[in-house]
Parts: sequence; structure tokens; C-alpha cells
Amino acid sequence: MELKDIIEKHLLDVQKPSRYIGGEVGSVIKDKSKVNVRFAFCFPDTYDIGMSHIGMKILYSLTNERENYWCERCFAPSEDFENVMRENGIPLYALESLDPIRDFDFIGFTLQYELSYTNILNMLDLAGIPIFAKDRSPELGQIIIAGGPCVCNPEPLADFFDLFVLGEGEELNLEVMDLYCEMKKKGASRLEFLRAAAQIEGVYVPQFYHFNYKDDGTIESMDVTDGIPATVRKRIIRDYDKVYYPKNFVVPFTEIVHDRASVEVLRGCIRGCRFCQAGFIYRPFREKKADTIFEQTKCLCENTGYDEVSLASLSTSDHSDIDNMLSKLIDYTAGEKINLSLPSLRVDNFSESLLNKIKKVRKSGLTFAAEGGTQRLRDVINKNVSEEEIMNTCRIAFEGGYSNVKLYFMMGLPTENDEDIIGIAELAQRIVDLFYSIEDRPRGKGVQVSVSCATFVPKPFTPFEFEPQDTREMIEHKQKLLLSSVKSKKIRISYHDPNVSMLEAILAKGDRRLCSSIYTAWRKGCRFDSWEDYFCFDKWLEAFSECGIDPSFYANRRFEYNEILPWDHLDYLVDKEFLVRENKTAHEAVTTPNCRQRCSGCGVNKKVGRECFATCKSNI
Amino acid sequence: MLRVRATFEKKGRSKYISHLDLNRCMLRTFRRSKLPIWYTEGFNPHPYYSFALALSLGFESSCEILDFNITDDTMSMDAVHDALNKVMPEGMRIVKVAEQKQKITAIAKAEYALSLAAEDSNALYEAVQQLVSAPEILIEKKTKKGVKTVDIKSDMEIISCTNTGLSVDLVMRLPAGTQTNYNPTLFIEALKNITDTVFEIADIRRTAILCADNSIFE
Repeated sequence: MELKDIIEKHLLDVQKPSRYIGGEVGSVIKDKSKVNVRFAFCFPDTYDIGMSHIGMKILYSLTNERENYWCERCFAPSEDFENVMRENGIPLYALESLDPIRDFDFIGFTLQYELSYTNILNMLDLAGIPIFAKDRSPELGQIIIAGGPCVCNPEPLADFFDLFVLGEGEELNLEVMDLYCEMKKKGASRLEFLRAAAQIEGVYVPQFYHFNYKDDGTIESMDVTDGIPATVRKRIIRDYDKVYYPKNFVVPFTEIVHDRASVEVLRGCIRGCRFCQAGFIYRPFREKKADTIFEQTKCLCENTGYDEVSLASLSTSDHSDIDNMLSKLIDYTAGEKINLSLPSLRVDNFSESLLNKIKKVRKSGLTFAAEGGTQRLRDVINKNVSEEEIMNTCRIAFEGGYSNVKLYFMMGLPTENDEDIIGIAELAQRIVDLFYSIEDRPRGKGVQVSVSCATFVPKPFTPFEFEPQDTREMIEHKQKLLLSSVKSKKIRISYHDPNVSMLEAILAKGDRRLCSSIYTAWRKGCRFDSWEDYFCFDKWLEAFSECGIDPSFYANRRFEYNEILPWDHLDYLVDKEFLVRENKTAHEAVTTPNCRQRCSGCGVNKKVGRECFATCKSNI
Repeated sequence: MLRVRATFEKKGRSKYISHLDLNRCMLRTFRRSKLPIWYTEGFNPHPYYSFALALSLGFESSCEILDFNITDDTMSMDAVHDALNKVMPEGMRIVKVAEQKQKITAIAKAEYALSLAAEDSNALYEAVQQLVSAPEILIEKKTKKGVKTVDIKSDMEIISCTNTGLSVDLVMRLPAGTQTNYNPTLFIEALKNITDTVFEIADIRRTAILCADNSIFE
């Protein structure tokens, strides 16, 4: 019986079966006899989440443009279908061909968040692929590869992967596949391929790097296998306006998290918020021309049939030609009855006419990522949003008929004290008071201020990479303090489970001694750790303890400036000296201007060999 | 304005598209086709279209019906037919496009072809025959007001029943439309109640949507 028939036999017994059978509009089918390299693009979470990921869409289409390469999609099955797969011996398969991914040349994972790591092991196991790289066949094939933001510190996964690709994949992925294709023809072995691949800029093959540790557990030194580069630099696309962008998306049948067309408008961020990993690892700032964005939007909407499109970036308002770009887009989308969604948009400095246009398409509520409760703390984290700005925008919004405001904060930020926590409640209260002070406020419902508090997680390649995370006791104290500081029923507080954030910190800042803990936790049944229903911190604690790992060594310890960090041999273009400097400035509560105002010397422009804003409209 | 009735197949993998998802899927199909579909004129304009009957998840069909309006009176039905088929998802194909002749309330029944695979098809055939010749088939049906026991036999027409040696193949007609809807799985449930013979549904598809006089609904 063919695999497809076995799958279909059980498909009606599981939730949302269309996730497991492929056949969506826009999916690419090829004749496998004419294909040289097969790539399984695996997202280590369910279809509903993974299908929303824009990076997969880019690399899927890009790879499939090459006639002799075939990229297919693969996701983590939900629990019900995983049980069906295990009971009936269905190996993890790709959605286009329905062939088992264990027979593919590349099995590539995207590492979007640390809490998906156990899903990777589970998927390898479901696929029937040896979990540890050392156990795989010496023959060339079944190369387990990963990219994405978490690859900036892939050490906790070092034992499971054959290679990591650092930075942007549009050029790098094809180079790696080209090399593979060539070496496969010559009959090269896995090891020979990995040695050759390690010579490509952006490729990190963890088995060629060895760590020695001091008695206190910190890193003593790192040895590199002969002939392998000692540092690996991430790749970037130099001409971002011309970079490949898909003309079509796979359009799912079942509803997914972001069920819309999506166009990337810029990469990198000029803001330099000190907690934000994306703000540093995606440097330098680059943007597409307004016309390019318009053409890509139109093309995608026509080909997919989506009636909603969103703009993707870290901060869309920082586009140098935003007025022109939005004006063009809104004229098109309004005419075609397409819904334009504009996340991460600051509404403060638009012209009146554009503001009126935006008002027509913006139906969502108002959200501020204030992050810190007091100006002092916002200066520490370099979040350059002032209370005055928040109040002004709220006033405009209330007068325009809005009555819901959402505020995002972080708890446990460096230097944070009780005053900063009380400040969160006070800021929310002042917004409530503002609402009732406005004469022509919306009548009827009253105001609702939602405060959402995440726990700060220190991340590699940020100025806060050295910082310890607050212990659970500290966070619980702050949560209680916040709750007792809120006096109004118009303010709603929600916060995250601090245990989840602690695990995230451990995995983000960990080294390769954590591999066995991740393996043990998975063996104990951990998966979908980012899902509240599945997260089980006790099993993780058992795993750490069985593997002789002290979790607080990674989460709650200050890493010294001169310490060798587990990710020091990876070069994300931002100088470590700059991060140290920014860390010191943070502790003085001094802000750093954004990159457009003044270059702060992070080192990226020197390594790239050109000014950061050379291609932006303001400089042409 | 043209009032259009399209008949389409839903076969192969497309049988796993749920009715809710099919709605979203058709919306996007219309947009890809660039046909001048009539939009509602309210505060939130959206293309107006409706399916005559919902099809259960996992059922194939050769006769699904979709109604919509085209604002361009000069457009030929062939042009609509071709524009849609160019952009339909795998497994779904328009087989006929024509003007709406009858009101949707004219639908009275639907015809289904079932293939029930069993190792012991003789035993299964016997059980099916027993059910077919029974004076009544009582099943528990969930309604809005709770569970009630109904006799589906009186409204059920068995058109054919054959034993292929590998399976028992049935063609039956059941009430469908705005008043009463019986799903052929009710018959299968009743079958499971009277026999221990192991069988599985190898194929289940809707083959016709009919009026009270057994003519094809158009």
C-alpha cells in the first residue's frame, strides 16, 4: 500500500485533516526523476503556525525556481496525528510528494524560537532519522541543516545538526545545494561534503569546533579542526531591493495564524532597543523601494487571491519613503477591496492626508510597546518612546473613536526596581484618566487598558547578552506588586509564566553541554514547549538534574565582559566591544540615538564595506 | 446581472476541505479568476455566493452546486466556466455553468454512492440486505432540540446494492435541502448496530442533487 493510502485511511480521525495531505493552491509539484536535490523545509511547529512563516515562503519559492531542485514543506503533526503516525508506522513525510523526508538530500529546520527545540528531535524521530549527527550514515545524503534567528547561538543543538546556515538564506542556501549536487556526482562522503561546505561564508559545521571548560563551568578555550575557519560570519543580501521575492504563496485550505499575503518592506532596524535580538542580528538596515513593494503586493494578491495583505518588517514607519509607499498601496488595496494591515506602525509623524487614508484601513486597536514603566527604565533599555508621545497618540485615538489601548511591558529588565513596576500601573491609570478628561470621547463602553507583561529574556548579540535573568521569586514579587498597584477596573493585567521565560533564557544562552538535557527532556515527553497545554517545567528540571546541568548557571548568572561566550565564534557583524559599550551605557541610564540620527559604531558598516543608508530614499 | 449556477466536482485530496474552509477557498478562487463577481453593498462589501448543500468532510462529489452573480451581462457562460477552471484547486473542477433555473427550495433529495470494503463481503452483503428489507431503521439523530429517534427507512430509496466480492456497493437517495437532511453515515451507523462484520468506507460520494420528481436540480 502506498504511503498516501495509509495516511488517507486515518485522516478523517484527526482534527483539520487538510493540514496533512497537501494539494494546496500554489504548492509546487515536480517530477522526481528529473530532480537532483530534494530539500524538506521543516517548521518545528504545527501547520497552522509554520504556514504563516514568511521565510519559508521565500526559500520554498526560491529553491523551486531551480528546475532540478525540489523544496517541499513539512510540519510537526499535532498530538492526535502523531499518535496515528506512530501506531501505523507512518514516517514523517513532505506535503508535496508525500514521500518520507528521511530519503531527502536536505532536511532543513528553521529555528524561530528556542521553545521549538524538542519538536525538532521529535520530528527527526518521527522521520526515522538518527537524532545525533554522529549516528548518521557516512554516505552523502540526509543532511540535517538549520537556519533562522536562533542559529545565532545554535550550540544547544550542536550535536543534532550537520550544519547551520547563518544569516540570510537567499544566496547561501543555493550555494550549499550547488556544492552538494556537485559533490554527490563525484561520490563524496558526508564528511567530505561538510569539510567543503564549511569553507562557504555563513556555513557553520559544529562538529569541527571543540570546547574546553574551566572548573567554574565557563569556557576555557575553543579548538577548531585544521583547515576550518575559526569564526563564521553571517550572510547578508547586499542589494535588498533586487532580492528574490515570491510571486505566489501556497494558499492553505484550513485557517492559519497569519492567513494573508505578506510583503517584506525592510530588513534590520535603526532603533537599537537593547533587549531586542532582532534589532541587532538583522543589521544592516536595508529597504525595498516603494515601487518594488507595490509591485510585489499586487503580484501576490493577484496570484494567491488573498483579500488581505500585510507589510512585514521590524518597524514599517522607519521606511524612508513611507508616505509615498502607503499612499500607493492604499489606493490599490481600497480599489480592489483588499484589506491592508499595517502592524508595527508608528502613527506620530504622518501627513494629515495620509493619516486619513490610514484611518480608513486600520481597524485594529491601538498597541504600544512601552516595555518599561518609567522614563528611567525606558532609557536603560533604549526604548525611545516618551510618555508624552504615548499620551498624544492615545488622545488622537480616543478622539477618533477608539476606546481600547493595549500596552506591552517587560518585567525583570536590568536595573529594574519596585518604582518601575508601580510605574506601569501609574502609566495605565493616566491613560484611563486621559480618556475621561476628553470631551468628545466615545460614549457607551468606557475605556479598556490592557497591560501585558512578558518576562525579560536576555539574548545573544544584544547589549543585554551579559545580563542575568530575574529568578522566579523576583518575578513573582513584581507580578504581585503590579497587581496590587492597579486601582481601576478599566485596567486589565496579564503576564507570562516565568518558567517558560526561564527555559527560553537557558536555551538562548546555553552551550553544547545542553544537548543531552534537550534530548533527555524530549525522551521524557517534552514537546510543544511554547504551548501552555504542553509545557511541563518539572520534566525539564528533571532532565537538567539528570544531566548534571545547573539551569541558573545559564539563566541567572551575569556573564562577564571578558568571558568566552558560547556564540563568540559566530560573527553577526555587530562588534562585541560595541555590545559591551552599550551595556555600560545602559547601566548609566543613557540612551543611544537611532542609526539615522547618528552612527553609534556597531561595526556593521565597516564589515559590509559601505554606509548603512546608502540606498535609502533620503540619501539619493 | 447574470445569476449563475455552477456545478463542480470535489474529488481526490480536495475531499479533506471542510465546508467552512471551502467558503474561504472559493472566495480566493473568485479573486484569482478576476471574474466580475457581484459584491454585496453593505458596510463591508463581500462577494455574494452560496453553496446549495454542505458536503461532509471526507465525501467526494461530482455534483456540488455554487450560486453567484456576475455583473457583466454580456459575459458568456463558457467564459465563466474557463476562467474558474484555470484557478480551481487540485481535485475541484467546474463541470457546468448555467443560469439559475429553479429556486434553491426545489432541492428535495441527494443521491450517494457508497463502497463499503470488507474481507467477508458476503457477510456484509447479508447485513446490508437485512437492513434494506427491514420495515424501519431507527437511528438517534442530534437536532437543535436534543437527541431524537427517527426512522430513516421511510424516506430512503435504495437504487442499487451489489456485492463485488471485495466490497458492497450501494447507491441510495436521501432527503436533502432546506427541510430534512439525512447523511448516508446514518445508514452506516445503523449497519454497525446489526453486524459484527468488519468493514470500512472505501469510497463515499454524492452523485446527484435532485428535485422531488427525481429530476436533476438546475
